[in-house]
Amino acid sequence: MTTRSILLGTALGLSLASGAFADVKIGSLYPFSGPLALLGEESARGLDLAVDQINAAGGLHGDRIVLERGDAVDNNQAIGEARRLISLEGVKAVFGTYSSSRVIAASQVTELAGIPYFELGAVADEVTGRGMTYLFRTNPTAENMGIAVIDMLADQIAPAAGKAPEDLKIGIIYEDSSYGTSVAGHEVAHAKERGLNVVLKSGYPANIVDMSSLVLDLKGKGVDVVLQTSYQNDTVLFLQQANEAGYKPMAIIGGGGGYSMQPTADAVGTDVIDGVYDVDFTQYAINPDFTPGIETFLDAYRAKYGEEPRSGHSLTNYVGALAVLQAIGEGEGFEPDQIVASVKAMDIPDGSTAAGYGVKFDDTNQNERARMMGMQWQDGKLLTVYPPDAAVAEIRQSE
Amino acid sequence: MTTFLQILLNGLMLGGLFAIVSIGLTLIFGIIKVVNFAHGEFLMGGMFITWLITTQMGLHPYAAVIVVVPVLFVMGALTQRLLIQPLMSARDDHIQIFATVGLSTALINLALLIFGADIANTPPHGLRAPLEFGELRLLTGQVMIFGAAIVLVIGLELFLKYTQTGRAIRAVAQNRGAAELMGINVNHIYVLTFGLGAACVGLAAVLIAPLYPTSSNIGTYFVLTAFVVVVLGGLGSIPGAFLGALIIGEVDALSGYYIGSDLREAVVFGLFLLILILRPSGLFGARQNLSHLS
Repeated sequence: MTTRSILLGTALGLSLASGAFADVKIGSLYPFSGPLALLGEESARGLDLAVDQINAAGGLHGDRIVLERGDAVDNNQAIGEARRLISLEGVKAVFGTYSSSRVIAASQVTELAGIPYFELGAVADEVTGRGMTYLFRTNPTAENMGIAVIDMLADQIAPAAGKAPEDLKIGIIYEDSSYGTSVAGHEVAHAKERGLNVVLKSGYPANIVDMSSLVLDLKGKGVDVVLQTSYQNDTVLFLQQANEAGYKPMAIIGGGGGYSMQPTADAVGTDVIDGVYDVDFTQYAINPDFTPGIETFLDAYRAKYGEEPRSGHSLTNYVGALAVLQAIGEGEGFEPDQIVASVKAMDIPDGSTAAGYGVKFDDTNQNERARMMGMQWQDGKLLTVYPPDAAVAEIRQSE
Repeated sequence: MTTFLQILLNGLMLGGLFAIVSIGLTLIFGIIKVVNFAHGEFLMGGMFITWLITTQMGLHPYAAVIVVVPVLFVMGALTQRLLIQPLMSARDDHIQIFATVGLSTALINLALLIFGADIANTPPHGLRAPLEFGELRLLTGQVMIFGAAIVLVIGLELFLKYTQTGRAIRAVAQNRGAAELMGINVNHIYVLTFGLGAACVGLAAVLIAPLYPTSSNIGTYFVLTAFVVVVLGGLGSIPGAFLGALIIGEVDALSGYYIGSDLREAVVFGLFLLILILRPSGLFGARQNLSHLS
């Protein structure tokens, strides 16, 4: 045995020993400041809670997970923070990001460095499908949203009203950035597949201050069902101006954004928003048999933050993070290819996570089981009504 | 026919809304020749104060005018005194533009820090109640805005024409150097004018808050249109800005219905460019000398 091999052996032994007691670092990349901070922080809480749960159960391969936060306040900083997390902090994987444009920017850095990136909350179609090896997405997408809106209309709402879906006149309105445009595009495409009648499709800028012309247009064309994909201000504006113009369509189905938030209901009034539908990430008023573990999540959330979750973002991020971390724990180790192999082997069936949907990645590394849920505002509460196995309430017909 | 009349009415009300937001801006622009990019954030600040007073003290939103207008006057005056005035002597006037852009960003982020990213709802206290004329509908609050805009335009015109201070303000606008030689304290006039302009937007904030949810970036929704209105009206002409606002409101409403919501901005700005090409000094603008000294 040469001196050299003894030295090598000692070094190896030391590194193994320190490895056994070391922490494993994971990046937590969200917008923690700036305009997106509210829901960025809410999303990050889901990841924090998943990590707490894994650490309480003994960590990953005996190592404790330590989250290193990166503030993705804008696209440039998302890139900078991804670099810092990889090179300076030496994270084994990055989790994030809430905003689609931030993950699209930051994942280019991680992909080049060969570090796995797990997107838990951004919905834009372009996030996956760019041929990246190390980028995975657990949450449902804009396409899932468009499909869920149309399916809920054709399979639940129309039958409940005693109408044939083909007889309904559908009007699609959307804020004209990439978010609204892509969801509206999927709605139109899926409505066509299902033989539905779209009579109006109109975009508008999200910073619109008057929607009365659009309301008159919908009213004039006799639109029965309005599908709106929007942020908060334009949601409030549309619901108020439709109400004030005396326009009462058979159904209004909102796509996420403003439609899921309590302040929107407060702004327009519970009587105005009553009966309005919404398609979004899994919310909390849902059948617990379909979402096992949601109580554990809610208890942990209340214990750690002393309040109720402010939106479904934390739950969606928690479910994705927990599933991925558990898969990594069952895998071979923390090398990028070992992580990729372990998550690609995932096969979690529907109805067995706290968000309801299962996890299995398709060829583009998108979770093919992810889907959006349908809700309805009833007496000031947002209750899950679709799909039927997740529902806690019957659809209520507005007069 | 009813639909057409309703659209015309909606356009008129929208015009009143744009007018009340733009009047303060045109005053500052016409007299001090400073492009105030923080104008929208003054509006936002005023709306948040209105919201606070209405929700915390349970008062009618219009009662907040007693607080909001003076607070905005002071904000405007301080902006002129502490930010713009030191830059007046800068070699390049554009420095002031960057200063107001900086102020705008700072105010938006300050509001985010204080109020968070969520919307704040000022209780409408009946201002959202519709007034019905046959089949036509208007909101009480919209009519109040329209009325207030007319009163404000007439009031400011009278003030500028018939008071000593008003005449001094116009003198400074016409020729800063000559006004200074006549013994007018130009810096005082500037501080006063900036304060007045900000006070006008304070009034707008009180009237708008019950109708629109307040958020940190609400100012950016209005400010671009306000600039269009000001330029259309002829840079500093208050009746011109009012007329420009009505034109923009009508064009916005009509194109939104007859052409499509996604194209309304294209129509509004296309028309704006056309008017600028045909009448470069705006609808009411005389050939103005925009230099500070000559």
